[in-house]
Amino acid sequence: MLIDDNTIDLKINSKIIGITKLFDDIILCQSGEEAIAYFLANEKDTEKLPHLILLDIQMPEMDGFEFLDNYKLLPEELKDNTRIAMLSSTLDFGDIRRAEANPYVIKLLKKPLYPAQLQAVFTTCFIVKE
Amino acid sequence: MTRSPVKVLYIDDEENNLIAFKASFRRQYEIYTANSAAEGLKVLENLPIEVIIADQKMPQTTGVEFFKSITTTFPDPVRILLTGYTDISALADAINHGDIYRYITKPWNDLELHNSIKNAHDAYRSKIDLRNKIKELEKTNDELNRFIYSISHELRAPLVSVIGIVNLVKMEGLYHSSGEYWELIESCSSKLDYYIQKTLQYYKNNKNVTDKSEIDFKHLVNEIIELYAYSNKDTTFNININQAQKFIGDSFRIEVILGNLISNAIKYQKTSNKEKTVEISIEVNKFSAEILIKDNGLGILNEHLEKIFTQFFKSKNNQGSGLGLFIVKEALNKINGKISVSSDLDYGTTFKITIPNAT
Repeated sequence: MLIDDNTIDLKINSKIIGITKLFDDIILCQSGEEAIAYFLANEKDTEKLPHLILLDIQMPEMDGFEFLDNYKLLPEELKDNTRIAMLSSTLDFGDIRRAEANPYVIKLLKKPLYPAQLQAVFTTCFIVKE
Repeated sequence: MTRSPVKVLYIDDEENNLIAFKASFRRQYEIYTANSAAEGLKVLENLPIEVIIADQKMPQTTGVEFFKSITTTFPDPVRILLTGYTDISALADAINHGDIYRYITKPWNDLELHNSIKNAHDAYRSKIDLRNKIKELEKTNDELNRFIYSISHELRAPLVSVIGIVNLVKMEGLYHSSGEYWELIESCSSKLDYYIQKTLQYYKNNKNVTDKSEIDFKHLVNEIIELYAYSNKDTTFNININQAQKFIGDSFRIEVILGNLISNAIKYQKTSNKEKTVEISIEVNKFSAEILIKDNGLGILNEHLEKIFTQFFKSKNNQGSGLGLFIVKEALNKINGKISVSSDLDYGTTFKITIPNAT
Protein backbone atom coordinates (compact mmCIF):
# COMPACT_ATOMS: atom_id res chain seq x y z
CA MET A 1 0.00 0.00 0.00
CA LEU A 2 1.27 3.44 -0.92
CA ILE A 3 0.01 6.43 1.03
CA ASP A 4 0.94 9.76 -0.54
CA ASP A 5 -1.02 12.89 -1.32
CA ASN A 6 1.12 13.57 -4.36
CA THR A 7 -0.28 11.74 -7.36
CA ILE A 8 2.95 12.03 -9.32
CA ASP A 9 4.87 10.32 -6.54
CA LEU A 10 2.17 7.66 -6.29
CA LYS A 11 2.66 6.98 -9.98
CA ILE A 12 6.47 6.96 -9.81
CA ASN A 13 6.63 4.77 -6.74
CA SER A 14 4.06 2.27 -7.94
CA LYS A 15 6.13 1.88 -11.12
CA ILE A 16 9.24 1.29 -9.02
CA ILE A 17 7.39 -1.28 -6.96
CA GLY A 18 6.27 -2.88 -10.18
CA ILE A 19 9.82 -3.08 -11.45
CA THR A 20 10.99 -4.95 -8.34
CA LYS A 21 8.32 -7.64 -8.95
CA LEU A 22 8.28 -8.22 -5.19
CA PHE A 23 4.60 -7.52 -4.66
CA ASP A 24 1.48 -8.84 -6.34
CA ASP A 25 -0.80 -5.94 -5.76
CA ILE A 26 -0.50 -2.24 -5.06
CA ILE A 27 -3.14 -0.30 -3.18
CA LEU A 28 -2.92 3.45 -3.75
CA CYS A 29 -4.22 5.87 -1.13
CA GLN A 30 -4.12 9.62 -1.51
CA SER A 31 -4.50 10.28 2.19
CA GLY A 32 -4.09 8.70 5.59
CA GLU A 33 -7.85 8.89 6.06
CA GLU A 34 -8.36 6.83 2.92
CA ALA A 35 -5.89 4.22 4.14
CA ILE A 36 -7.55 3.90 7.55
CA ALA A 37 -10.92 3.60 5.79
CA TYR A 38 -9.49 0.83 3.63
CA PHE A 39 -8.41 -1.11 6.70
CA LEU A 40 -11.82 -0.74 8.31
CA ALA A 41 -13.65 -1.66 5.12
CA ASN A 42 -11.67 -4.89 4.88
CA GLU A 43 -11.98 -5.83 8.51
CA LYS A 44 -13.57 -9.14 7.57
CA ASP A 45 -11.43 -9.73 4.58
CA THR A 46 -7.89 -9.61 5.98
CA GLU A 47 -6.54 -11.16 2.78
CA LYS A 48 -6.97 -7.76 1.19
CA LEU A 49 -4.85 -5.96 3.76
CA PRO A 50 -1.38 -4.88 2.69
CA HIS A 51 1.83 -6.57 3.84
CA LEU A 52 3.81 -3.40 3.51
CA ILE A 53 2.79 0.22 3.74
CA LEU A 54 4.98 2.96 2.31
CA LEU A 55 3.89 6.06 4.13
CA ASP A 56 4.63 9.64 3.15
CA ILE A 57 5.22 12.12 6.00
CA GLN A 58 4.09 15.48 4.67
CA MET A 59 0.42 15.30 3.78
CA PRO A 60 -2.41 17.79 4.26
CA GLU A 61 -4.77 17.14 7.21
CA MET A 62 -3.64 13.73 8.43
CA ASP A 63 0.13 13.62 8.05
CA GLY A 64 2.25 10.48 8.27
CA PHE A 65 2.67 10.65 12.02
CA GLU A 66 -1.03 11.27 12.59
CA PHE A 67 -1.75 8.29 10.40
CA LEU A 68 0.46 6.22 12.69
CA ASP A 69 -1.46 7.46 15.72
CA ASN A 70 -4.72 6.38 14.11
CA TYR A 71 -3.25 3.14 12.87
CA LYS A 72 -2.24 2.31 16.43
CA LEU A 73 -5.91 2.31 17.41
CA LEU A 74 -6.86 -0.33 14.82
CA PRO A 75 -7.60 -3.80 16.18
CA GLU A 76 -4.44 -5.92 16.51
CA GLU A 77 -5.60 -8.65 14.14
CA LEU A 78 -5.75 -6.14 11.29
CA LYS A 79 -2.16 -5.09 11.84
CA ASP A 80 -0.64 -8.53 12.32
CA ASN A 81 0.66 -8.98 8.81
CA THR A 82 1.46 -5.40 8.00
CA ARG A 83 4.79 -3.61 8.20
CA ILE A 84 5.24 0.11 7.72
CA ALA A 85 8.12 1.99 6.17
CA MET A 86 8.05 5.73 5.86
CA LEU A 87 8.91 7.20 2.51
CA SER A 88 9.72 10.87 2.43
CA SER A 89 11.94 13.52 0.93
CA THR A 90 12.38 15.08 4.35
CA LEU A 91 15.77 16.28 5.53
CA ASP A 92 14.34 17.55 8.77
CA PHE A 93 16.18 16.09 11.69
CA GLY A 94 13.07 16.14 13.86
CA ASP A 95 11.08 14.17 11.30
CA ILE A 96 13.88 11.65 10.92
CA ARG A 97 14.16 11.15 14.67
CA ARG A 98 10.40 10.83 15.08
CA ALA A 99 10.20 8.26 12.33
CA GLU A 100 13.02 6.22 13.84
CA ALA A 101 11.43 6.41 17.27
CA ASN A 102 8.02 5.14 16.19
CA PRO A 103 7.62 1.47 17.06
CA TYR A 104 5.57 0.73 13.94
CA VAL A 105 8.10 2.14 11.53
CA ILE A 106 10.67 -0.40 10.41
CA LYS A 107 12.61 1.99 8.21
CA LEU A 108 12.63 5.52 6.92
CA LEU A 109 13.17 5.41 3.18
CA LYS A 110 14.25 8.50 1.34
CA LYS A 111 12.72 9.68 -1.87
CA PRO A 112 13.54 9.00 -4.65
CA LEU A 113 12.85 5.34 -3.99
CA TYR A 114 15.27 2.84 -5.50
CA PRO A 115 14.36 -0.78 -6.18
CA ALA A 116 17.41 -1.86 -4.17
CA GLN A 117 16.11 -0.09 -1.04
CA LEU A 118 12.75 -1.74 -1.40
CA GLN A 119 14.46 -5.08 -1.93
CA ALA A 120 16.37 -4.57 1.32
CA VAL A 121 13.21 -3.78 3.25
CA PHE A 122 11.50 -6.76 1.70
CA THR A 123 14.33 -9.05 2.70
CA THR A 124 14.41 -7.92 6.31
CA CYS A 125 10.65 -8.05 6.74
CA PHE A 126 9.51 -11.07 4.86
CA ILE A 127 12.43 -13.40 4.33
CA VAL A 128 14.50 -13.36 7.49
CA LYS A 129 11.38 -13.95 9.54
CA GLU A 130 10.54 -17.27 7.96
CA MET B 1 9.05 63.10 18.61
CA THR B 2 6.21 63.63 21.06
CA ARG B 3 5.88 60.92 23.58
CA SER B 4 3.02 60.78 26.02
CA PRO B 5 4.18 62.02 29.43
CA VAL B 6 5.61 59.52 31.87
CA LYS B 7 2.97 57.93 34.07
CA VAL B 8 4.03 58.24 37.68
CA LEU B 9 2.26 56.77 40.67
CA TYR B 10 3.05 58.34 44.03
CA ILE B 11 1.92 56.61 47.21
CA ASP B 12 2.10 58.43 50.50
CA ASP B 13 -0.21 58.53 53.49
CA GLU B 14 0.46 62.23 54.04
CA GLU B 15 -1.94 64.22 51.92
CA ASN B 16 0.36 67.28 51.99
CA ASN B 17 3.15 65.41 50.32
CA LEU B 18 0.86 64.23 47.58
CA ILE B 19 -0.29 67.79 46.98
CA ALA B 20 3.27 69.13 47.01
CA PHE B 21 4.41 66.46 44.60
CA LYS B 22 1.60 67.20 42.21
CA ALA B 23 2.29 70.90 42.39
CA SER B 24 5.97 70.42 41.55
CA PHE B 25 5.71 67.86 38.80
CA ARG B 26 2.30 68.00 37.15
CA ARG B 27 3.72 69.86 34.16
CA GLN B 28 6.29 67.16 33.42
CA TYR B 29 4.46 63.97 34.26
CA GLU B 30 1.10 62.34 34.27
CA ILE B 31 0.68 61.95 38.00
CA TYR B 32 -1.49 59.50 39.89
CA THR B 33 -1.56 59.56 43.65
CA ALA B 34 -2.74 57.16 46.32
CA ASN B 35 -2.77 57.53 50.07
CA SER B 36 -2.22 53.84 50.86
CA ALA B 37 -0.68 50.71 49.36
CA ALA B 38 -4.15 49.30 48.73
CA GLU B 39 -5.19 52.41 46.82
CA GLY B 40 -1.92 52.29 44.92
CA LEU B 41 -2.55 48.73 43.87
CA LYS B 42 -5.91 49.73 42.45
CA VAL B 43 -4.24 52.35 40.27
CA LEU B 44 -1.62 49.84 39.14
CA GLU B 45 -4.26 47.36 38.15
CA ASN B 46 -6.00 49.86 35.92
CA LEU B 47 -3.25 51.95 34.39
CA PRO B 48 0.07 51.26 32.67
CA ILE B 49 2.17 52.98 35.34
CA GLU B 50 5.85 53.37 34.45
CA VAL B 51 7.40 54.75 37.62
CA ILE B 52 6.22 54.15 41.20
CA ILE B 53 7.31 56.33 44.09
CA ALA B 54 6.32 55.07 47.52
CA ASP B 55 6.82 56.45 50.97
CA GLN B 56 8.41 53.94 53.31
CA LYS B 57 6.61 54.92 56.47
CA MET B 58 2.92 54.30 56.01
CA PRO B 59 0.38 52.69 58.35
CA GLN B 60 -0.61 49.09 57.41
CA THR B 61 1.71 48.48 54.50
CA THR B 62 5.15 50.08 54.27
CA GLY B 63 6.70 51.12 50.97
CA VAL B 64 9.08 48.16 50.95
CA GLU B 65 6.31 45.72 51.81
CA PHE B 66 4.28 47.16 48.98
CA PHE B 67 7.14 46.79 46.51
CA LYS B 68 7.76 43.24 47.65
CA SER B 69 4.09 42.38 47.17
CA ILE B 70 4.11 43.47 43.53
CA THR B 71 7.44 41.96 42.39
CA THR B 72 5.72 39.19 40.45
CA THR B 73 2.41 40.83 39.58
CA PHE B 74 3.85 44.13 38.33
CA PRO B 75 7.54 43.57 37.66
CA ASP B 76 7.89 46.31 35.04
CA PRO B 77 7.32 49.71 36.69
CA VAL B 78 10.53 51.11 38.11
CA ARG B 79 10.46 51.75 41.87
CA ILE B 80 11.69 54.69 43.91
CA LEU B 81 11.53 54.60 47.69
CA LEU B 82 11.03 57.80 49.69
CA THR B 83 11.79 57.93 53.34
CA GLY B 84 12.35 60.43 56.07
CA TYR B 85 14.64 58.20 58.07
CA THR B 86 17.88 56.69 56.99
CA ASP B 87 16.95 53.28 58.24
CA ILE B 88 19.74 50.97 57.06
CA SER B 89 17.87 47.73 57.60
CA ALA B 90 14.82 49.00 55.68
CA LEU B 91 17.13 50.13 52.95
CA ALA B 92 18.91 46.79 52.72
CA ASP B 93 15.58 45.02 52.72
CA ALA B 94 14.31 47.29 49.98
CA ILE B 95 17.30 46.69 47.76
CA ASN B 96 17.34 42.96 48.34
CA HIS B 97 13.68 42.19 48.02
CA GLY B 98 11.81 45.07 46.53
CA ASP B 99 13.82 45.60 43.36
CA ILE B 100 14.25 49.31 44.17
CA TYR B 101 15.82 51.53 41.57
CA ARG B 102 16.49 54.64 43.72
CA TYR B 103 16.33 55.63 47.34
CA ILE B 104 15.47 59.24 48.10
CA THR B 105 15.36 60.96 51.47
CA LYS B 106 12.63 63.26 52.60
CA PRO B 107 12.22 66.13 52.29
CA TRP B 108 13.06 65.68 48.67
CA ASN B 109 14.95 68.08 46.50
CA ASP B 110 12.86 68.79 43.40
CA LEU B 111 15.77 68.56 41.00
CA GLU B 112 17.09 65.34 42.48
CA LEU B 113 13.67 63.73 42.42
CA HIS B 114 13.06 64.96 38.91
CA ASN B 115 16.33 63.44 37.71
CA SER B 116 15.57 60.21 39.49
CA ILE B 117 12.19 59.93 37.84
CA LYS B 118 13.74 60.69 34.48
CA ASN B 119 16.42 58.03 34.94
CA ALA B 120 13.88 55.57 36.28
CA HIS B 121 11.79 56.11 33.23
CA ASP B 122 14.80 55.54 30.96
CA ALA B 123 15.44 52.28 32.79
CA TYR B 124 11.81 51.36 32.31
CA ARG B 125 11.98 52.10 28.59
CA SER B 126 15.12 50.11 28.02
CA LYS B 127 13.66 47.17 29.92
CA ILE B 128 10.56 47.24 27.73
CA ASP B 129 12.54 47.86 24.54
CA LEU B 130 14.78 44.93 25.28
CA ARG B 131 11.81 42.70 25.87
CA ASN B 132 10.22 43.79 22.59
CA LYS B 133 13.47 43.16 20.75
CA ILE B 134 13.70 39.68 22.21
CA LYS B 135 10.12 39.00 21.17
CA GLU B 136 10.87 40.24 17.69
CA LEU B 137 13.96 38.06 17.46
CA GLU B 138 12.08 35.03 18.68
CA LYS B 139 9.49 35.66 16.02
CA THR B 140 12.13 36.00 13.29
CA ASN B 141 13.86 32.90 14.52
CA ASP B 142 10.60 31.02 14.52
CA GLU B 143 9.87 32.14 10.98
CA LEU B 144 13.32 31.09 9.88
CA ASN B 145 12.76 27.65 11.36
CA ARG B 146 9.49 27.30 9.56
CA PHE B 147 11.10 28.55 6.38
CA ILE B 148 13.82 25.94 6.66
CA TYR B 149 11.23 23.27 7.28
CA SER B 150 9.19 24.32 4.28
CA ILE B 151 12.27 24.38 2.05
CA SER B 152 13.05 20.88 3.11
CA HIS B 153 9.57 19.78 2.11
CA GLU B 154 7.86 22.05 -0.37
CA LEU B 155 10.90 22.92 -2.41
CA ARG B 156 12.58 19.58 -2.35
CA ALA B 157 9.62 17.23 -2.75
CA PRO B 158 8.86 18.07 -6.40
CA LEU B 159 12.55 18.02 -7.22
CA VAL B 160 12.85 14.57 -5.76
CA SER B 161 9.89 13.53 -7.90
CA VAL B 162 11.79 14.71 -10.96
CA ILE B 163 14.81 12.67 -9.92
CA GLY B 164 12.49 9.71 -9.36
CA ILE B 165 11.11 10.08 -12.88
CA VAL B 166 14.61 10.19 -14.35
CA ASN B 167 15.42 7.01 -12.44
CA LEU B 168 12.33 5.35 -13.93
CA VAL B 169 13.39 6.48 -17.39
CA LYS B 170 16.71 4.77 -16.74
CA MET B 171 15.10 1.59 -15.50
CA GLU B 172 12.79 1.42 -18.45
CA GLY B 173 15.73 1.81 -20.82
CA LEU B 174 14.64 5.17 -22.19
CA TYR B 175 17.59 7.15 -20.85
CA HIS B 176 19.32 7.43 -24.19
CA SER B 177 16.15 7.79 -26.18
CA SER B 178 16.36 11.57 -26.53
CA GLY B 179 19.99 12.23 -27.10
CA GLU B 180 21.59 13.58 -23.97
CA TYR B 181 18.52 15.43 -22.70
CA TRP B 182 17.74 13.02 -19.87
CA GLU B 183 21.30 13.15 -18.75
CA LEU B 184 21.17 16.94 -18.65
CA ILE B 185 17.91 16.92 -16.68
CA GLU B 186 19.47 14.50 -14.25
CA SER B 187 22.61 16.52 -13.73
CA CYS B 188 20.67 19.77 -13.27
CA SER B 189 18.26 18.25 -10.78
CA SER B 190 20.94 16.62 -8.72
CA LYS B 191 22.90 19.84 -8.65
CA LEU B 192 19.84 21.70 -7.43
CA ASP B 193 19.16 19.03 -4.85
CA TYR B 194 22.73 19.26 -3.65
CA TYR B 195 22.40 23.02 -3.19
CA ILE B 196 19.16 22.67 -1.27
CA GLN B 197 20.72 20.12 1.02
CA LYS B 198 23.82 22.22 1.64
CA THR B 199 21.78 25.37 2.23
CA LEU B 200 19.69 23.55 4.81
CA GLN B 201 22.76 22.16 6.50
CA TYR B 202 24.24 25.63 6.64
CA TYR B 203 21.19 27.23 8.22
CA LYS B 204 20.60 24.41 10.65
CA ASN B 205 24.22 24.64 11.68
CA ASN B 206 23.85 28.36 12.24
CA LYS B 207 21.28 27.84 14.93
CA ASN B 208 22.91 27.63 18.27
CA VAL B 209 21.03 24.67 19.63
CA THR B 210 23.44 21.86 20.28
CA ASP B 211 22.06 18.51 21.08
CA LYS B 212 23.96 15.99 23.11
CA SER B 213 23.32 12.40 22.25
CA GLU B 214 25.25 9.20 22.23
CA ILE B 215 27.03 8.49 18.98
CA ASP B 216 27.91 5.11 17.60
CA PHE B 217 30.52 5.93 14.98
CA LYS B 218 30.45 2.53 13.33
CA HIS B 219 26.75 2.81 12.72
CA LEU B 220 27.00 6.42 11.57
CA VAL B 221 29.86 5.80 9.14
CA ASN B 222 28.08 2.80 7.65
CA GLU B 223 24.96 4.85 7.12
CA ILE B 224 26.87 7.63 5.44
CA ILE B 225 28.72 5.24 3.16
CA GLU B 226 25.50 3.52 2.22
CA LEU B 227 24.06 6.90 1.34
CA TYR B 228 26.93 8.24 -0.75
CA ALA B 229 28.38 5.09 -2.27
CA TYR B 230 25.26 4.84 -4.43
CA SER B 231 26.79 7.12 -6.99
CA ASN B 232 30.10 5.33 -6.97
CA LYS B 233 30.06 1.62 -6.44
CA ASP B 234 33.69 0.90 -7.30
CA THR B 235 35.27 2.55 -4.30
CA THR B 236 36.87 0.36 -1.65
CA PHE B 237 36.42 1.45 1.94
CA ASN B 238 38.97 0.61 4.59
CA ILE B 239 37.22 1.29 7.82
CA ASN B 240 38.88 1.04 11.16
CA ILE B 241 36.78 2.24 14.05
CA ASN B 242 37.93 1.81 17.58
CA GLN B 243 35.22 2.87 19.95
CA ALA B 244 35.44 1.31 23.38
CA GLN B 245 34.30 4.52 25.04
CA LYS B 246 30.91 6.08 25.08
CA PHE B 247 30.85 9.20 22.93
CA ILE B 248 28.45 12.06 23.54
CA GLY B 249 28.19 14.82 20.99
CA ASP B 250 26.05 16.80 18.63
CA SER B 251 24.78 14.12 16.31
CA PHE B 252 23.44 16.44 13.61
CA ARG B 253 26.69 18.35 13.23
CA ILE B 254 28.90 15.29 13.40
CA GLU B 255 26.79 13.67 10.72
CA VAL B 256 27.13 16.80 8.57
CA ILE B 257 30.90 16.86 9.05
CA LEU B 258 31.49 13.19 8.29
CA GLY B 259 28.92 13.21 5.50
CA ASN B 260 30.56 16.08 3.65
CA LEU B 261 34.09 14.73 4.05
CA ILE B 262 33.25 11.17 3.12
CA SER B 263 31.17 12.20 0.11
CA ASN B 264 34.04 14.44 -1.03
CA ALA B 265 36.46 11.54 -0.67
CA ILE B 266 34.20 9.42 -2.85
CA LYS B 267 33.44 12.15 -5.35
CA TYR B 268 36.82 13.68 -6.09
CA GLN B 269 38.46 10.64 -7.58
CA LYS B 270 40.45 10.23 -10.71
CA THR B 271 38.36 8.52 -13.34
CA SER B 272 41.44 6.62 -14.44
CA ASN B 273 42.08 5.21 -10.96
CA LYS B 274 41.38 1.48 -10.85
CA GLU B 275 41.76 1.17 -7.13
CA LYS B 276 39.77 3.96 -5.62
CA THR B 277 40.11 3.74 -1.89
CA VAL B 278 38.79 5.73 1.02
CA GLU B 279 40.27 5.09 4.40
CA ILE B 280 38.31 6.04 7.47
CA SER B 281 39.74 5.53 10.90
CA ILE B 282 38.20 6.73 14.12
CA GLU B 283 39.74 6.46 17.54
CA VAL B 284 37.48 7.33 20.45
CA ASN B 285 38.83 8.05 23.91
CA LYS B 286 37.51 9.70 27.02
CA PHE B 287 38.30 13.20 25.79
CA SER B 288 37.74 13.15 22.09
CA ALA B 289 37.19 11.32 18.84
CA GLU B 290 40.14 11.46 16.47
CA ILE B 291 38.97 10.97 12.94
CA LEU B 292 41.05 10.44 9.84
CA ILE B 293 39.59 10.41 6.36
CA LYS B 294 42.02 9.66 3.59
CA ASP B 295 41.49 9.14 -0.12
CA ASN B 296 43.77 8.40 -3.05
CA GLY B 297 41.92 10.79 -5.31
CA LEU B 298 42.60 14.01 -7.12
CA GLY B 299 44.27 15.83 -4.27
CA ILE B 300 44.27 19.54 -3.69
CA LEU B 301 46.72 22.09 -5.04
CA ASN B 302 49.01 23.37 -2.33
CA GLU B 303 48.04 26.98 -2.88
CA HIS B 304 44.39 26.04 -2.55
CA LEU B 305 44.74 24.30 0.79
CA GLU B 306 44.24 27.49 2.76
CA LYS B 307 41.17 28.49 0.85
CA ILE B 308 39.20 25.28 0.77
CA PHE B 309 37.32 26.13 3.96
CA THR B 310 36.14 29.53 2.77
CA GLN B 311 32.62 30.01 1.50
CA PHE B 312 32.09 29.58 -2.23
CA PHE B 313 35.68 28.68 -2.93
CA LYS B 314 35.74 26.35 -5.92
CA SER B 315 38.64 25.04 -7.86
CA LYS B 316 38.37 25.12 -11.63
CA ASN B 317 38.66 21.41 -12.16
CA ASN B 318 36.08 20.27 -9.68
CA GLN B 319 32.39 20.90 -9.87
CA GLY B 320 31.83 21.63 -6.23
CA SER B 321 29.43 24.12 -4.76
CA GLY B 322 32.02 25.77 -2.60
CA LEU B 323 29.84 25.01 0.38
CA GLY B 324 30.70 21.53 1.64
CA LEU B 325 34.00 22.20 3.39
CA PHE B 326 32.84 25.62 4.50
CA ILE B 327 29.93 23.96 6.28
CA VAL B 328 32.29 21.38 7.79
CA LYS B 329 34.44 24.15 9.22
CA GLU B 330 31.43 26.09 10.54
CA ALA B 331 29.97 22.98 12.15
CA LEU B 332 33.31 22.16 13.77
CA ASN B 333 33.53 25.70 15.13
CA LYS B 334 30.18 25.24 16.82
CA ILE B 335 31.25 22.08 18.60
CA ASN B 336 34.84 23.15 19.36
CA GLY B 337 36.31 20.67 16.95
CA LYS B 338 39.53 20.98 14.97
CA ILE B 339 40.44 20.05 11.43
CA SER B 340 43.68 19.84 9.52
CA VAL B 341 44.33 18.80 5.98
CA SER B 342 47.26 17.59 3.97
CA SER B 343 47.22 16.74 0.33
CA ASP B 344 49.38 15.78 -2.61
CA LEU B 345 48.07 16.64 -6.01
CA ASP B 346 47.23 13.41 -7.85
CA TYR B 347 47.90 11.23 -4.80
CA GLY B 348 45.07 12.09 -2.52
CA THR B 349 43.96 14.05 0.48
CA THR B 350 43.91 13.40 4.21
CA PHE B 351 41.64 15.18 6.67
CA LYS B 352 42.25 14.88 10.39
CA ILE B 353 39.51 15.92 12.77
CA THR B 354 39.29 16.11 16.51
CA ILE B 355 35.89 16.37 18.15
CA PRO B 356 35.66 16.72 21.92
CA ASN B 357 33.81 14.02 23.80
CA ALA B 358 31.13 15.50 26.04
CA THR B 359 30.81 12.56 28.41
